[in-house]
Amino acid sequence: MTVPSGPASAEVPAVRCRSLGVSFGTVQALHDISLDLAAGRIHALVGQNGAGKTTLAKVLGGLQAPDNGTVCIAGNQIPPGDVRAAKSAGLAMVHQHFSLPPSFTVAEALELAAARPESHSVYRRTELYRRWQNEVAEVGGTNVLATRIRDLPVETRQSLEIVRALASEARILLLDEPTALLTPAATDTLFERLRGLRDDGVTILIVLHKLREVAAVADTVSVLRDGKLVLGPSEISGVSQGQLSDAIVGPAPDADRAIAVEAAANAEQQLLLELVRVSSRESAFEPGLASIDLTVEAREIVGIAGVEGNGQRSLVSVIAGLSAVTEGSVLLGGEEVTRAPPARRRLRGLRLVPFDRNSEGISRSAPLWLNQSALRLIGRRRQFPLISLRQYKRQASEAMDLWRVRYDTVAQPAESLSGGNVQRLVLSRELASGLEVLVAAQPTRGLDFSATNFVRRSLRGLRDAGAGVLLVSSDLDELFELSDRLFVMYGGSIVARFNAPYDRQAVGDAMTGALR
Amino acid sequence: MTGGLQRVASTVLLVVVSFLLTALILWVSGYRVGTVLSGIIQGSITATGAATSTIRWTIPLLLIGLGVVIGFRAGFFNIGGQGQFYVGACSALVVSLGWREGPVPLVIMCGMIAAILAGMAWSLLPGYLRVQFGTDEVLTTLMMSFIGALVLQYLTAGPLRNPSGTGQTAASERIPEAFRITDSSGVSVTALLLVGGVAVLVWLLLERTRFGLTMTLVGRNPTMARWQGIDVRRVGLGTFALSGALSGLAGAVELYGPGARLVTGFSPEVGFTAVVVALVGMLSVWGTVVAAVFFGGLQSAILFLPIVTDLPPPALVLLHGMVAFLVTIKFRAVRRRRTGPAAKPVAG
Repeated sequence: MTVPSGPASAEVPAVRCRSLGVSFGTVQALHDISLDLAAGRIHALVGQNGAGKTTLAKVLGGLQAPDNGTVCIAGNQIPPGDVRAAKSAGLAMVHQHFSLPPSFTVAEALELAAARPESHSVYRRTELYRRWQNEVAEVGGTNVLATRIRDLPVETRQSLEIVRALASEARILLLDEPTALLTPAATDTLFERLRGLRDDGVTILIVLHKLREVAAVADTVSVLRDGKLVLGPSEISGVSQGQLSDAIVGPAPDADRAIAVEAAANAEQQLLLELVRVSSRESAFEPGLASIDLTVEAREIVGIAGVEGNGQRSLVSVIAGLSAVTEGSVLLGGEEVTRAPPARRRLRGLRLVPFDRNSEGISRSAPLWLNQSALRLIGRRRQFPLISLRQYKRQASEAMDLWRVRYDTVAQPAESLSGGNVQRLVLSRELASGLEVLVAAQPTRGLDFSATNFVRRSLRGLRDAGAGVLLVSSDLDELFELSDRLFVMYGGSIVARFNAPYDRQAVGDAMTGALR
Repeated sequence: MTGGLQRVASTVLLVVVSFLLTALILWVSGYRVGTVLSGIIQGSITATGAATSTIRWTIPLLLIGLGVVIGFRAGFFNIGGQGQFYVGACSALVVSLGWREGPVPLVIMCGMIAAILAGMAWSLLPGYLRVQFGTDEVLTTLMMSFIGALVLQYLTAGPLRNPSGTGQTAASERIPEAFRITDSSGVSVTALLLVGGVAVLVWLLLERTRFGLTMTLVGRNPTMARWQGIDVRRVGLGTFALSGALSGLAGAVELYGPGARLVTGFSPEVGFTAVVVALVGMLSVWGTVVAAVFFGGLQSAILFLPIVTDLPPPALVLLHGMVAFLVTIKFRAVRRRRTGPAAKPVAG
């Protein structure tokens, strides 16, 4: 076989791989993947959590050596797992998680990533700024150059990751779930940018979760399922949404029946959660709450919309008892819990799906059964009697089976689960009996198509069983679909209240503070 | 289970490597390695009284080591066992000398309780600083350890000094012979039952109670524990208290057992060796029992070796240091693996 070299001609695909196979232990992450990505187009890669999307991206970027198969970038064959070779062939990755050093200023970070750094061994700040001012013009102007990475808002950091990738003079961009952390507006801006880059001749492979986003940005789409390429790359115009979701979920949908949720709704109590003029101190990342009034009744889902960082985190931690209330009062089922410790609120029927399931929802290194049993450990005066671990493990495995968590043994660490399974684990714990109010923070963020549907069905099932749900989300579609009432937070206060049917424009205006 | 076996094997390997490295250093320094090795075996097992001496040193190492294990379970590194051990012994001494005429079992019981409380207090101060202000407990427990050593020095050289003592170092008066639970060999059925009972209790606490499971969750991910409604501060204080209590108890057992009186700076390294014991024991209760016996044997051998070789006693401390060094590296490596990028799940 001859390996063509030199500049890529129109016929040479930007990325070509043949018979790629990767396995981790007994898990076959990628199975015989052969794929050609034409130059100068936007290619979407979709699939469920655990389908192998990130692994494929890593193999293409040289971060993961395949067990077998070959990767060619712009016609040059890349030695397996060689990041430098992939880079010098013109490929750059934009990771799911941010990779720029948080303590660097923007200019410093870009210089660090540059393909051809300045030849001086000593840098001068003004020169650095001059060198990078054009690149950052689109992400917030030259005054962003002196800002430290950690002080930037999420969407600016995302854009910078792309600037960083381009600073290395890449002609092929790999973006791994870039929209997971973005608001709808920021997602639109990102797509606009990607289209611009495509028109300049850059080839883009983007890993996405939402079919709506695929339709919005991609020229072609490929679907991975269980490590196999089951569809594509096909022109987006030639594939219907139905075909796509069938390809993603597979021929035998694992029949996720709706979970019959048991909620201990006591009939006489209607008002389950009440916040009366609650204020709190601001945190490092967010404004504090400013005189929030909020009620959640039985049999309803109350949605909280808002651009992230407008007090949603403060709101949830005040309800959970994790941060102090400076004024006002919090009532759970009619009982004042303003100063009550988190454990009392838990025993009173409060359940939580935290913002970040991997750090707040589970203990990654602890075994599954212990993660599942965490709620059984709280409360005073019952700490020292001997318990039966066998019983704990049995109950944990029953609950996880009911929620269809996929696992091998209850003793495996929670970090071995994929994202959707982690969320099922969290739900299996939080939505067990005793629940009266659920506060669900970003419950579907980063989840795939079927896991998202599963979570939404569960929330609805919970409401129908008589519980109250407070749903904090940055996904407007989700909020519109689920909420009986919708509040918008801005700068730590509730600035607007809506009832269904919702007006997207009005909600959007409230979110950006246009109503003030 | 194979994972568990692997961990045991790698720990054993590490100890063997430490032996080899120490042997190499001794050989380079011109000692006869064979003589030293046989001296170690004689001094810990075969010589007259050696096995007893091994057990005598196992007892304090195990008690303090279990305290370290408890601390680690909730994510705290209590390395101040030495000071907690000293103040425990001092408190038991004060009780015993102050109440010489009391009924024997009651005095011993009160002495042990006093020792436990003193050890708790010595550990709770760093514990409070840790949970309240996030002060690094490695530093504070270590500093408290020095203060504990000075308290011992003050008592033995000052108020409780034996005026008729002739030794070069200051020592206290002896406690009445009736209070002792062992003879000067330091081993008796009572002492063994006591220590064995403590080990079983600690195992039950860690593995079979809600508090133990709570400690595990707090140690692995305090953020998640907080979201689950666990009072992380209370668990932290409880952990420090229990951890210090065991070291304090070790001090009382030392006094009522082989010691009978306190000498300035007695057993100067048990508290620190106990940290290594816990790490070599892989922070599990039964592993710590095995490691304590091993290090008890080494301690016994260190005291015996000058009899058969011209080796100065500190030379074997080299072996201690080597094990401590390697076990720390291994421990860090495991932690890195647990939290590092290599541990990321297979995501798609």
